[in-house]
Amino acid sequence: MDRMAERVLITGMGMISAIGNNVEENFRSLRAQRSGIGYSRFVDTIHRNVLPVGEVKCSSEELAKLAGLPDTTGFTRTTLLGLVAMQEALRSAGINDAAETPTAFINASTVGGMCDTEKIYFDILDPQKEGTFLQLIDTLDCADCTQRIADETGLTAYVTTISTACSSSANALMYGARLIRAGLVDRAVCGGTEALTRFTINGFNSLKNIDKRHCMPFDNDRNGLNLGEGAAYLVLESESFAQRRKARPMAELSGWCNTNEAFHPTSPSPEGDGAFEAMRKALEMGGLSPADVQYVNVHGTATLNNDVSEGRALERLFGNEVPAFSSTKPFTGHTLAAAGAIEAIYSVLAINRQMIWPNLNFTTRMEELRISPETRLLEESPVKNVVSNSFGFGGNNASLVISKYGN
Amino acid sequence: MEIKCYIQASAAISPQQSFSGEYAPQFLPLEERNLLRAQEPGYAGFIPPNSLRRMSRLLKMGLTAALQCLRNANATVPGAIITGTGRGSLQDTEKFLHDIRTYEETALNPTPFIQSTYNSVNGLIALQQQCTDYNNTFVHRGFSFEHALLDSLLQIQEGNAESVLVGGFDEMTVEHFFIKSRIGYWKSALTQPADMLASGTPGTIAGEGAVFFLVGTQPAPVEVRGIQMLYRPAPDQVASQLAQFLQKQGVKAEDVDLLVIGRNGDTRFDHFYAVVEKALPSTATNIPFKQYCGEYDTAGAFGMWTAQQELLSGRHKTALVYNHFYGEQHTFILLQKH
Repeated sequence: MDRMAERVLITGMGMISAIGNNVEENFRSLRAQRSGIGYSRFVDTIHRNVLPVGEVKCSSEELAKLAGLPDTTGFTRTTLLGLVAMQEALRSAGINDAAETPTAFINASTVGGMCDTEKIYFDILDPQKEGTFLQLIDTLDCADCTQRIADETGLTAYVTTISTACSSSANALMYGARLIRAGLVDRAVCGGTEALTRFTINGFNSLKNIDKRHCMPFDNDRNGLNLGEGAAYLVLESESFAQRRKARPMAELSGWCNTNEAFHPTSPSPEGDGAFEAMRKALEMGGLSPADVQYVNVHGTATLNNDVSEGRALERLFGNEVPAFSSTKPFTGHTLAAAGAIEAIYSVLAINRQMIWPNLNFTTRMEELRISPETRLLEESPVKNVVSNSFGFGGNNASLVISKYGN
Repeated sequence: MEIKCYIQASAAISPQQSFSGEYAPQFLPLEERNLLRAQEPGYAGFIPPNSLRRMSRLLKMGLTAALQCLRNANATVPGAIITGTGRGSLQDTEKFLHDIRTYEETALNPTPFIQSTYNSVNGLIALQQQCTDYNNTFVHRGFSFEHALLDSLLQIQEGNAESVLVGGFDEMTVEHFFIKSRIGYWKSALTQPADMLASGTPGTIAGEGAVFFLVGTQPAPVEVRGIQMLYRPAPDQVASQLAQFLQKQGVKAEDVDLLVIGRNGDTRFDHFYAVVEKALPSTATNIPFKQYCGEYDTAGAFGMWTAQQELLSGRHKTALVYNHFYGEQHTFILLQKH
């Protein structure tokens, strides 16, 4: 059998975000059209009561409890979020002992353990200060959270972390799927984890990319994003392996594409060239035409540039038949490295629950576009193929196609 | 691998005089601290002056090594750009952390934040060369460059790219050197590179560098036969996995005549290297490359460059690169001369 033609199935998923501590809670919030955006309880910043965020509603101590840990010792918030999502993903795939089958763990992060290290960074620099905080030094990078999660769960065959800004976890899913297709592993757990930090809030604020209101993707009056936090992992398995162990396929990862726009370090091209190519090639790979797509979960950050660029790309690709599209970032905020995986799960839910999620906070169509997002919750709406977009700094664009299994 | 993959060109910015293409590794004297600094080339022929002014050190090093590699290959647009970096631009991360404190979160310059993003070098290479194809960045200590290489080989096997620009880069700042010294990364006494292996002390000497390769299907003297990574293995697993890896590549242990090894004189983790040395013929030439580049997350790229240079010299035929990063991320890379 040609390994390259092996289908890659989604057989498990787990998540935590501002709208829920697991997949079912996220689903209920999406259906109830209940946003998780508000002011931060946990980040120490002067912007706390000015810039709204999509914060997970648990303290780090509460997260440790959810993850079944006695306390938070040695674990950053980034790791704890990841661990909660990972445990649910394995459980939902019916995996009791992850170490039983060689499994790849492809994680994604943009600032690793910065959420905790930024609190003690200047103590670390002070030679006079000693204490247990020094044990957190190694959590400064992106690998720490990945390895902590790998060590807790026994995922050791391939362990690595991808960082391509806001497209990181979409790239993690692609890479895991390719390891499976190459026959290197039968199973890969892929996704990302991201905690809110003073560092990133100030970073995006200095770029004047944050709206002081709740973000308004694809609205003419939009003025930037709201940052968010969360984690999400999807269990990917080769079709033959999933069949052998009688796993329950939730959907198929049928196409993907990563392109670089080569346009500007932080801005997309106005005509959406990179977005267009990523979506077009991902569909082509899945053997699908634009007419086969019922829903696009757009990147839709609500920054001035993204929405023009992505909207133009949709118009170019789908012509006069643009399918229902929405940004779910008004629910969760922009969770950076976790966004691709969180939205991949929302795409699977759209297929399995036959629903299309509303784009909240939209009132006025953008001057530059002739299309507007879906603002209603559509129930009993047949969804077979979803395109999920993630675009990042450095021109890194990624599109995933998620399909009903057994199409 | 079904499709053979060759190293078509390389370029290395390192503590050595490597950028010119010369290969004459030296023991460089250290005076102040256990840190081997990269010798930076002139950037003017690579980066336009306007961009050069804004760019931080690691961005300049990474971009320039990438561009020189493409020049060495007489290539302009690779089929993909895939990199690894353990720390990204530390200088920018530190600057933004300090700015947040100094200016109390107000009126911040966004440049350090943008440049601290781990994929910024990748974006710059793509932008400068107008490469719109696959682009990825791995950020996982001793599995950063290594996964970038695996991803490159997969891109080629999948038929998505005929050539891939693959590299690894990291810098060491004085501030980060101090931070890591607090948890035992470096030897506490000033130790010369010539003495590091026999020092009998924990810790090692820090290093830095930016090393790029153009790998692809077009035949060239050095072939990348394969790569295997092991996460936190026990020493006996290193031995058994090495045997399996060589067997899978159709190579007998006695055929390996060059071992490029990550020995760094850290007594806590030396025993892994001894396992691999014991598994190979004692007649194989043994080159501990970290005497020349120091220890850093993506030092493995300098190890592969060293093996490539040695094979090009015609002295050896089959090279194994074995490296690990503080006992956690272990990698075998097999190269062969044609």
